[in-house]
Amino acid sequence: MRVGLRLQGTSCRTVVLDGRSVVSAATEVHAGSLSEALDSSLSGLRREFGSAITELTADVGRVLGERKLADVVAIRISPRPPADAFHATVLPPLVEPAVTRTVHVAGGHDLRGRPLARLDLEGFLADLPGILSTDVRNVAITAVGSTASKDHETRIADATLSNDRDMRISISSDFYSSVFRNRDYTAILNSALMETGEELAAMLEEAGRRQFPDALLSFAKNDGGRAPLSRLALAPVHGLRAEPAMGILGAATLAGIPEGEVILCMESGATVGHTRGGLPAARSLIRQGFGAGLASNAAILEPYTVHHPVRTDIPSVIADLREWQETALPFGLVPTLPAAQDAALVGSAAAPLTAWIDRLETVSGRADLQRVQNLAVEDAHSAAVQLGASPGQTQIIESNVYAMPYGNPGIVRIRVQAAGETSANEEHVLPIAARGATP
Amino acid sequence: MSTVLTIEDVRNLRTGAHFLACTIDPTAIYVYAEMIERAMEDRSLELITVDELAPDDLVVAVGMVTQGLFIADMPPVGDEFLGCIRAIEANLGRSVRAIYSLAAANINGIVPLMVGLQSSLPVIDSDPMGRVFPLISQTTLNVGNVAIGPIALMGVTGERAVVEVENPQRAETLVRALVTELGGWAATAMYPCSAQQLKEHGVHGSISRMIRIGQILDASTPVKRKLLLLTELLGATRIARARVSHIESLSRPADLGLPAQPSSLTLDDETTGRIIRLEIQNEILLVLVDGAITAAVPDMVTLLNSEHGTVVNIDDVQVGDVMDIVKIKAAEQWYTEAGLDLTEPKAFGIPIGHPRRRHA
Repeated sequence: MRVGLRLQGTSCRTVVLDGRSVVSAATEVHAGSLSEALDSSLSGLRREFGSAITELTADVGRVLGERKLADVVAIRISPRPPADAFHATVLPPLVEPAVTRTVHVAGGHDLRGRPLARLDLEGFLADLPGILSTDVRNVAITAVGSTASKDHETRIADATLSNDRDMRISISSDFYSSVFRNRDYTAILNSALMETGEELAAMLEEAGRRQFPDALLSFAKNDGGRAPLSRLALAPVHGLRAEPAMGILGAATLAGIPEGEVILCMESGATVGHTRGGLPAARSLIRQGFGAGLASNAAILEPYTVHHPVRTDIPSVIADLREWQETALPFGLVPTLPAAQDAALVGSAAAPLTAWIDRLETVSGRADLQRVQNLAVEDAHSAAVQLGASPGQTQIIESNVYAMPYGNPGIVRIRVQAAGETSANEEHVLPIAARGATP
Repeated sequence: MSTVLTIEDVRNLRTGAHFLACTIDPTAIYVYAEMIERAMEDRSLELITVDELAPDDLVVAVGMVTQGLFIADMPPVGDEFLGCIRAIEANLGRSVRAIYSLAAANINGIVPLMVGLQSSLPVIDSDPMGRVFPLISQTTLNVGNVAIGPIALMGVTGERAVVEVENPQRAETLVRALVTELGGWAATAMYPCSAQQLKEHGVHGSISRMIRIGQILDASTPVKRKLLLLTELLGATRIARARVSHIESLSRPADLGLPAQPSSLTLDDETTGRIIRLEIQNEILLVLVDGAITAAVPDMVTLLNSEHGTVVNIDDVQVGDVMDIVKIKAAEQWYTEAGLDLTEPKAFGIPIGHPRRRHA
């Protein structure tokens, strides 16, 4: 059996799933603190289900969203600093106050991975004592061209850690985007969330081990998958917007549609997403209007409109997630899934381990492209297994190649998603069908 | 008549530049729009028609040339275009009186506004493409035998070059090589010419057209109404509303001289049963409906989300998406023999002539 839980404020809400069946409807525990609520919830589940619980996945997005961001030093590596205020990188208003200091370091690479400027490590080392002398323990590092070479980011990170091993460092090449400001924003936000991520991971680990010492503990991710708790301390940003993805996955799980359309109706309006290969269809960027986007793979959930094309060729589910369901749904929608309010918790319980490979490759032709794509598929498979998935139960969900507009001839972007279950789950919750790979 | 542009104009231009860029990721346009809005807080931006200049006034095209790293991954530091204009002035021994866009879409549709704000030079409502093409030789000025050089370039590293060249094809080769070594893009100033030459051989109303497109697309009106207004403004036609059934990268052999790799989209028109194939290389070059050519470069083709009426980015396209495929006629100069020589599918390595050539 698998548990999906959601933390918020000083409360913990849980649901228990056995295969596709909800065996314990959602219960919510409020307590004097978040850790007490968690402990009380898990204690109750242990009394009821004992060792039958094998996996717990926590959606911590609401806690990450409600906590104050920690202060961050932003280090930007590029050949030259902005010549005027207009050309400086602008961060979203939510994150900007968290950046207490911005440091420019000369360096960066082109798309071929060749240095555009020598890394000014000496200059950075001269600034470093001033950076380390403050109370700020979080550092975000973003270099021009780090999608092609992360060398300058890692050398600055290494230099920082060599002088203070306790600094929390987030480097932008851990997040794929071909846009500097997206990576910069993501690395800064991730860095600002790392302390909370560490704290949540420690709390969940302690409570989980106490009540379910043999269970696998994970956190829910924005793409509809999960990752081991240890990753929450390193990449909390991937857990920030998990709830919409879990809503899609949960409704699809309850309806039994690994490939189809999922319409979620909430107080804020109706939205539509899709499942493909047993997981929500995802894109690599969470767009936020015209400003910087978050470079995190996330489920696509778009507003439902009166012009929405009705498809008869794929299964569809309409889930009413509203707390109060007295009024009719908009657009004449009729729910096809009864009692779906806790679909997102069901999604957390059902989420598989997911891993992504997203990188640039230089290819000389079709055969070479096939070779690098096969290599990326193998790497994605290995990454899922390293997260704890069983090799025999890991499949490729997506494997795509993207041409780069106005790019260097021969450089392509390869993007692969793998998903898998642990050996403890011989029976998939929602069958993962390998999506047809695009050559 | 000169116009002082407003922040609202810039926001509409942002959408129009994206629409005419035929599905390229718009982030660089957004970055520039944001910079321009900030700069407009204490400066004004003048848009003029070419008729407002004296016939022999020196004007110059400004624009980004890219071959590699994205502009959005290595944003300009801010002194590049000013350096290029100074280099042109030094080379020619004359002052530049006004600037114009190298292209009327994508990043180069909006860049001149920032340069105008920085330099206090007026921006001319004209350009030499009437859309965007990947090569700097694919201009109506080239068709009109206006010299492309001297060309000034400056990259993000601060390194710069002035290329004294006459032949546009040689200019293409030289500039492309320099841009690669400058880091992947370069700010450029080229096609320095008289206002009279631009008047005779340019495409006019480029900036104001992008603003008008933005007004249509950003309005809270149904998709059907937006398509109707675009038809009236641009002579646009909807080729089909269709669902993506297949995406393919590296779908054709590519000439190494052309930036980017080719890719293809196959769509099903579920109402008529027709199969639609889009051939893409930076922009959409060719639309085949049941194997017949329905649109071919220099025609512009762009994609709109059928539900929301927003421009579709090719990076976001997924199998199953439904979209409207919209065809827009390019500037008339492109349908002449000389214009088609530069821009029909053959110029992009697709062995097909433009249908208009057969009827010429």
